[in-house]
Amino acid sequence: MAKVSVLNVAVLENPSPFHSPFRFEISFECNEALADDLEWKIIYVGSAESEEFDQILDSVLVGPVPAGRHMFIFQADAPNPSLIPETDAVGVTVVLITCTYHGQEFIRVGYYVNNEYPNPELRENPPLKPDFSQLQRNILASNPRVTRFHINWDNNTDRLEAIENQDPTLGCGLPLSCTPIKGLGLPGCIPGLLPENSMDCI
Amino acid sequence: MDVAWSPHDAWLASCSVDNTVVIWNAVKFPEILATLRGHSGLVKGLTWDPVGKYIASQADDRSLKVWRTLDWQLETSITKPFDECGGTTHVLRLSWSPDGHYLVSAHAMNNSGPTAQIIEREGWKTNMDFVGHRKAVTVVKFNPKIFKKKQKNGSSAKPSCPYCCCAVGSKDRSLSVWSSIQGPWVQGLREPSGRGGLPSFRSPLPPLSFQLTCLKRPLVVIHELFDKSIMDISWTLNGLGILVCSMDGSVAFLDFSQDELGDPLSEEEKSRIHQSTYGKSLAIMAEAQLSTAVIENPEMLQYQRRQQLGQGGTAARETGATAAVAGVVNGESLEDIRKNLLKKQVETRTADGRRRITPLCIAQLDTGDFSTAFFNSIPLSGSLAGTMLTSHSGPQLLPLDSSTPVSFSASKPPTEPVATAGARPAGDAVSKDSVNATSTPAALSPSVLTTPSKIEPMKAFDSRFTERSKATPGAPSLTSMTPTAVERLKEQGLVKEPRPRDVLESSSDSDEKVPVAKPSSLSKRKLELEVETVEKKKKGRPRKDARLMPMSLSVQSPASLTAEKDTVCLSIPAPTLKLPMPGPQRAFTLQVSSDPSMYIEVENDVTAVGGLKLSRLKCNREGKEWETVLTSRILTAAGSCDVVCVACEKRTLSVFSACGRRLLPPILLPSPISTLHCTGSYVMALTAAATLSVWDVHRQVVVVKEESLHSILAGSDMTVSQILLTQHGIPVMNLSDGKAYCFNPSLSTWNLVSDKQDSLAQCADFRSSLHPQDAMLCSGPLATVQGRASTSGRQAARLFSVPHVVQQETTLAYLESQVAAALTLQSSHEYRHWLLLYARYLVNEGFEYRLREICKDLLGPVHCSTGSQWESTVVGLRKRELLKELLPVIGQNLRFQRLFTECQEQLDILRDK
Repeated sequence: MAKVSVLNVAVLENPSPFHSPFRFEISFECNEALADDLEWKIIYVGSAESEEFDQILDSVLVGPVPAGRHMFIFQADAPNPSLIPETDAVGVTVVLITCTYHGQEFIRVGYYVNNEYPNPELRENPPLKPDFSQLQRNILASNPRVTRFHINWDNNTDRLEAIENQDPTLGCGLPLSCTPIKGLGLPGCIPGLLPENSMDCI
Repeated sequence: MDVAWSPHDAWLASCSVDNTVVIWNAVKFPEILATLRGHSGLVKGLTWDPVGKYIASQADDRSLKVWRTLDWQLETSITKPFDECGGTTHVLRLSWSPDGHYLVSAHAMNNSGPTAQIIEREGWKTNMDFVGHRKAVTVVKFNPKIFKKKQKNGSSAKPSCPYCCCAVGSKDRSLSVWSSIQGPWVQGLREPSGRGGLPSFRSPLPPLSFQLTCLKRPLVVIHELFDKSIMDISWTLNGLGILVCSMDGSVAFLDFSQDELGDPLSEEEKSRIHQSTYGKSLAIMAEAQLSTAVIENPEMLQYQRRQQLGQGGTAARETGATAAVAGVVNGESLEDIRKNLLKKQVETRTADGRRRITPLCIAQLDTGDFSTAFFNSIPLSGSLAGTMLTSHSGPQLLPLDSSTPVSFSASKPPTEPVATAGARPAGDAVSKDSVNATSTPAALSPSVLTTPSKIEPMKAFDSRFTERSKATPGAPSLTSMTPTAVERLKEQGLVKEPRPRDVLESSSDSDEKVPVAKPSSLSKRKLELEVETVEKKKKGRPRKDARLMPMSLSVQSPASLTAEKDTVCLSIPAPTLKLPMPGPQRAFTLQVSSDPSMYIEVENDVTAVGGLKLSRLKCNREGKEWETVLTSRILTAAGSCDVVCVACEKRTLSVFSACGRRLLPPILLPSPISTLHCTGSYVMALTAAATLSVWDVHRQVVVVKEESLHSILAGSDMTVSQILLTQHGIPVMNLSDGKAYCFNPSLSTWNLVSDKQDSLAQCADFRSSLHPQDAMLCSGPLATVQGRASTSGRQAARLFSVPHVVQQETTLAYLESQVAAALTLQSSHEYRHWLLLYARYLVNEGFEYRLREICKDLLGPVHCSTGSQWESTVVGLRKRELLKELLPVIGQNLRFQRLFTECQEQLDILRDK
């Protein structure tokens, strides 16, 4: 049984200009005081084709974590545009929030991110070299993808064995519902964000 | 639709056609304390529990819901009696009896007849109802007074039992008044005053088990009182009159005499009944008392003022916290917290310069369980499940041999584990990680790259959602590696003979295995780095470079942790009390601590000059190393920051200082060593004959002298599962039956300090006295022995419905035993924690006697003679400082103002001296 379960992740300030920081409000519940800190990371996927372009936007330690429900805001700077392949600057990509305990990742929340020019003219005729200052980032907050991993919370040998013998399908993630919060301008679904034919994989 | 004042007048509840109930803070309008959501129909009636623990609401959705005022969560929802109801009444005004035992609903149905359902507080049972009205019951209202039967001359000497009185109004335009008498013995004393065919009381239970009333018929029934349905009923404060209003626009007043209803109890008697049944509810006490009690002296007044000022200062934080609870619970004021969260968020830097956020605690643990529902209620999407299956079954189901990963790696970008098979002849490396989930989707991607559609990237993304982050070196890759490493260690243990001391060997084969267990998802460069690390480790100083090589560290620390754990796992055959002995090994390593990093290496039988065999002891502390030789083979070793000690085959025990200087000539043990332990300057030796000794090496005194474990191990098949030596040299034995004993050197006794099956711990409930920060404050030997995150004392109230008095007693007993245990363990930190908690509980529950005793002991004699026996410190804490900490706690309850003043004055005198 995981000691920490993520209750909600709210995407704040969305949509926003490309250069503005990412800001997530994360609430989680811990059913037992943790001996050590949790480590949270925001990873920006620069290109779908390769992990090479993944950028860890930030990683923070969160603690101390006594039993109970907690909440914090995780803010990270925008990705470095120079590390993003030009061909992938505009369009859909992914941002991941991961949490590890004792170096073991136990949850991963992913969001599709659409970078596009809000200016219709630019959208029609995008410049060859992407103009990041004009880009708008839109996180598809209504469709988070959650994966959970079984990890060893105790550093205990017996448990480790049990985990190894466990059915691999157990404890995998379930989609996280992210309730749109009023006043934050979260559209339920952004029209035109996803091509029709890709809906089947969501 | 209805409003109701809480019993302590600080809250007002209103219910509305928007299906919610809103709790208003009447002290600070228009602040909303909570919005209770859950009804799916118009909420048409409200009632507070007279002791303020619950609020009940009845709605058109055919349910009656009871909510807790502690966290504003739903306690129970009762639907069964309302299944047949239609939404035909304007109001559904339910009522709680003034003694708190019963809740009577408006419109309910029983066998298609309209009733007023009686709901018992105990278990929310619905066995009884008021029947007789021909149409739906719209209003039920209990008389605010509790009555006593009028004593008649010559009547039985039995004490008359208090009872309640309740008026029921209905759509059939009639009003009935019921007098409900507790206790079966009053039965038959009263004649039913109603006529035949009138409403009657019905219960499926046999008459003797009647709890609520002896009356089978109401006290009085008035038919055709109005032209239209009754809308509301209100009793006068003295309990002898009723005002009834109707839809037809008229109001009726009914006057009763004391002969008819009985003698009303005074408010004091009433609250005494409440206290005896429910104990004091904090919510009521605090405010009611503050308003009525007279502050007797200026100090107290000053203190109270200061406190109020302080509250003003911390108000922002507190309202933030309460709002947070309310907000998350109701989704209402979440916005407000969010606005402030970032500002308030505490961010620090760790030693290595990393950001560390202290999360805002928005709720205690046990405020309901919506978290699991949150995840599980959402159906698993098909495609996602598929991805996950591959990602997880990949490593688990395909234990590929070394050649397969290579083929996978070939199709991967260079960051992928090319090195797996190449770098090492990893014949036995299962290389689970190399068959990572990504391999599959990513391997596909080249073929689909050509298609311009966005579907492919999306698919690629899909895998990204599920795979573990590899872009983050070090930490994440440890995940799957740790088990491997440990498994490997275990295998080692199996292949060789099982040893009590499971250690990381520095022999060459173990070196082979450590890197093998490394995650193969690392690049070649990384692997090379590790090889280097290992080599350095051979030389015995890898730790200096810890930051450079996080991998080697992370491999070792869990492994050595297990090693330490295994060390203390002894199986002791009970009858003979012969403890297992460590067998001689050629070499072993033992990690003493990771911060500062310190470890000991032992190499036995090092051939030396002249064919003499010597044993070498090496100790490495933060890169500084010393070594020494012994003539006998070393069986086991232990170390602390101050001393290192080793036990040899010849039953000798040698003690060295942190720098390797021999502190004592070898100590001869009475029997072979079983376990050795060091903490600070204390050395503990447990021999195979189950005797225990503890020495303080620096002061050169014996703390525990050859004490037999016989008394705690005798009689059953218990084994020692864990041994602990506290900072103060107190040995603690954890036994396999969940009990833990510590040896008290001053009394020469074994004291029980923890028992996993302790029922007191299960029943104790001191949640009201806990501070939110307490959870993290409490750590120390007692917490270690008892299990760090024991949630006892918090859930008890939810798990068991124990009479309040019993719960008080168990809680007190539990807290006292905790204080005593912390004292025996000489854990000052924990002693303070539990003492404050205990005092807070005593204050909350109003136990003056014990509180006074504590204060007296802490204060000591003010004018002391030289012959005074009083010790001014306890476990290193100054008692009077502790008392100063206690005083604000005591001052919170005005009932203790005299105690507060007494202590305050005497402390002042002492200070002036």
